[in-house]
Amino acid sequence: MSQFLRLTVRKSTPNESMMAGPPNLREQNQAQKVPDLRRRPRLRDLTIQGFLFLCGFLSIFITFGIVYELGKESLLFFGNRQWSSTNKPLAADISAEQTVFEVGSSGTPLQGDANYRIEREIIHIDSINGTTLTVQRGFGGSPATAHRAGLTLEAELRPDLVEFFTGSEWAPHNGKFGILPLLNATLIVSGVAIVVAVPLGLATAVYLSEYASLRARNVLKPILEVLAGIPTVVYGFFALTFMTPLLRSIFGTDVVNIYNMASAGIVIGILILPFVSTVSEDALNAVPRSLREAAFGLGATRLETALRVVLPAAFSGIAAAIILAASRAIGETMVVAIASGAGPNFTFNPFEAAETMTGHIVRISGGDMSYNSVDYNSIFAVGLMLFVMTLILNVISQRIVRRFREVYE
Amino acid sequence: MNRKIQTLLALLVAASVVLAACGPAAEPTTAAQPTSAGDGPTVDPMAQFSPLNVSGDIITAGSSTVFPLSERMAERFRDEGFSGNITVDSIGSGAGFERFCEAGETDISNASRAINQDEVALCEAIGRTPIEFRVGTDALAIIVSQDNDFLTELTMEQLALVFSTATNWSDVDPSWPNEPILRFSPGTDSGTYDYFVEEVLDDDATLLQNSVGTQYSEDDNVLVQGVLGSPYAIGYFGYAYYQENASTLKILNINGVEPTEQSAEDGSYPLARPLFIYSDANIMLEKPQVAAFIYFYLSFVNEEILDVGYFPSSEAAFETNWENFYNALGMENPM
Repeated sequence: MSQFLRLTVRKSTPNESMMAGPPNLREQNQAQKVPDLRRRPRLRDLTIQGFLFLCGFLSIFITFGIVYELGKESLLFFGNRQWSSTNKPLAADISAEQTVFEVGSSGTPLQGDANYRIEREIIHIDSINGTTLTVQRGFGGSPATAHRAGLTLEAELRPDLVEFFTGSEWAPHNGKFGILPLLNATLIVSGVAIVVAVPLGLATAVYLSEYASLRARNVLKPILEVLAGIPTVVYGFFALTFMTPLLRSIFGTDVVNIYNMASAGIVIGILILPFVSTVSEDALNAVPRSLREAAFGLGATRLETALRVVLPAAFSGIAAAIILAASRAIGETMVVAIASGAGPNFTFNPFEAAETMTGHIVRISGGDMSYNSVDYNSIFAVGLMLFVMTLILNVISQRIVRRFREVYE
Repeated sequence: MNRKIQTLLALLVAASVVLAACGPAAEPTTAAQPTSAGDGPTVDPMAQFSPLNVSGDIITAGSSTVFPLSERMAERFRDEGFSGNITVDSIGSGAGFERFCEAGETDISNASRAINQDEVALCEAIGRTPIEFRVGTDALAIIVSQDNDFLTELTMEQLALVFSTATNWSDVDPSWPNEPILRFSPGTDSGTYDYFVEEVLDDDATLLQNSVGTQYSEDDNVLVQGVLGSPYAIGYFGYAYYQENASTLKILNINGVEPTEQSAEDGSYPLARPLFIYSDANIMLEKPQVAAFIYFYLSFVNEEILDVGYFPSSEAAFETNWENFYNALGMENPM
């Protein structure tokens, strides 16, 4: 799923507007109402045009499809009650009328004044005395029927939006739906990645655009782009088998856990480095030569020119590059699934194991999951959250590009 | 143009001839039949148990622990050419016996515990005498890193604490280090997790779910890596997987019993349970497909069982199995 999310992110690449060309010629023609001297449209051109339109339409259609599906499944999560097994069995067969009965002693303790489900029937527990329950039958329009011994009771869970955004525990099985541990881990991992990628990527971009000879640049740039072509699963094992031991040898094995957020973050930083460096370098290159020459003419050194003139002039492009890289880091899945841990953990220590949103989706959907279970529905809510985050980042980057764009003639 | 078509046709014909020649050879000529006994010139008496020679339906139900094993054997039985339906329902050992003994709906009952007296009595009331086949053993290994120098054994109560409310090791025993417990558990979809919750935490999954920072993975290797990573880590998984990694890990005794194949099989190790299938002589005689499936199960279960994550029964148990099998059919044990 994150693959799709990533695709949608790329589609709205913010630097598109940087490439905006000259004003549309056809519009000018129409405005002047010149006699129609154009070549008459041919079937072949029309077909090609139609095909191109279809391609564009398809990608937009798919984006809407994904948003629709995510939204629909998330509604299932927030709008409906969920059921989770308590492992507590009925001790004996019960009839449709029976309101007092025994349950087994094992399993999750039951709560009084709460709803439970046996097969299709919802019951409301009024009071509990040891293993004896007094209940009301047939709640919520469900028919009261006879049930066999050994059937387990399912507890009712009601996820709500307030808890989703403020709860600090994520255990859907137990009715704990706070996204904060997952969100926090995602932000820490992406934060580490950005801290690694931005200085390195910017320095590389400045070197390539301001200092490197054309020959050096032609060699270095493709090599740098190879970094982006390495499969992320390889990066994942690189994090687990190289970066983690390295961190542990520096900070000590007691401080750094075997699965930890720092290691995954640093490696994701390396992974997104080419995004930062190549897009920033394009932005730097787009700064007109005349600006540099003016700076040199005023007696500025190369470094001063690069830092005081070229970098600020290319600010919008660089900001877009960084935000693009950040949304890539947030959506990155394989590295965190392998190296950053596999259990929700609300901690601000980057050397501890904690599961990110993407990692959680992967782990939960990896098992034999049944449709309409709490876990299944919860991952759509997490997915929607991810989508909203990357969408917000994209909107911000569009804003920055528009607001700070320097136009040179 | 004509020439081209001719060449094409010729090629096609040649290709089809070659394919036709290859076809039969590619198919399995003899579906690996269990022919351990028949070495005389006479008709092989075991041929009656070949999956190719029986038909009809086989209904099995019971333990969710035995389920993956029975499912695997059923799949293999079908692959060998059985044409009927085999259903394997995962409903729990108790419910399995209920369907076998009370309702009499099933031909084979899967169980991860031995049948009890009440169930035998129910069975006899409907004219069934359960026959037991021990097909394997499921055991959990509780493991820590070899760098861990304070643990050699845990009691069941301590184990329950470690995997639920305790945060630091010193919460369980004050003489242990005041370091956080790093927990590694199989994922919530795995049977190993279910068994651990059932046996150690009295079926209350919320205890483990609420423990702080527990790491879950369906991949046992991830658990091994995690446990190896720190002297304060602890994890559990199937004993069979521990055996493969025994050289790098430290296994804990539980309630003073050292986990070995023997202590697991005889039940003295508390985190082990036997895996059984049950049937009845009359069913096996009336439905030859059931007898054939059990024959197949007993013959090949040891080839699959490690892969499923359990470990095989002893030879002595298998001798009893075969004795029971031939007795039920009124045949002489050829072994």
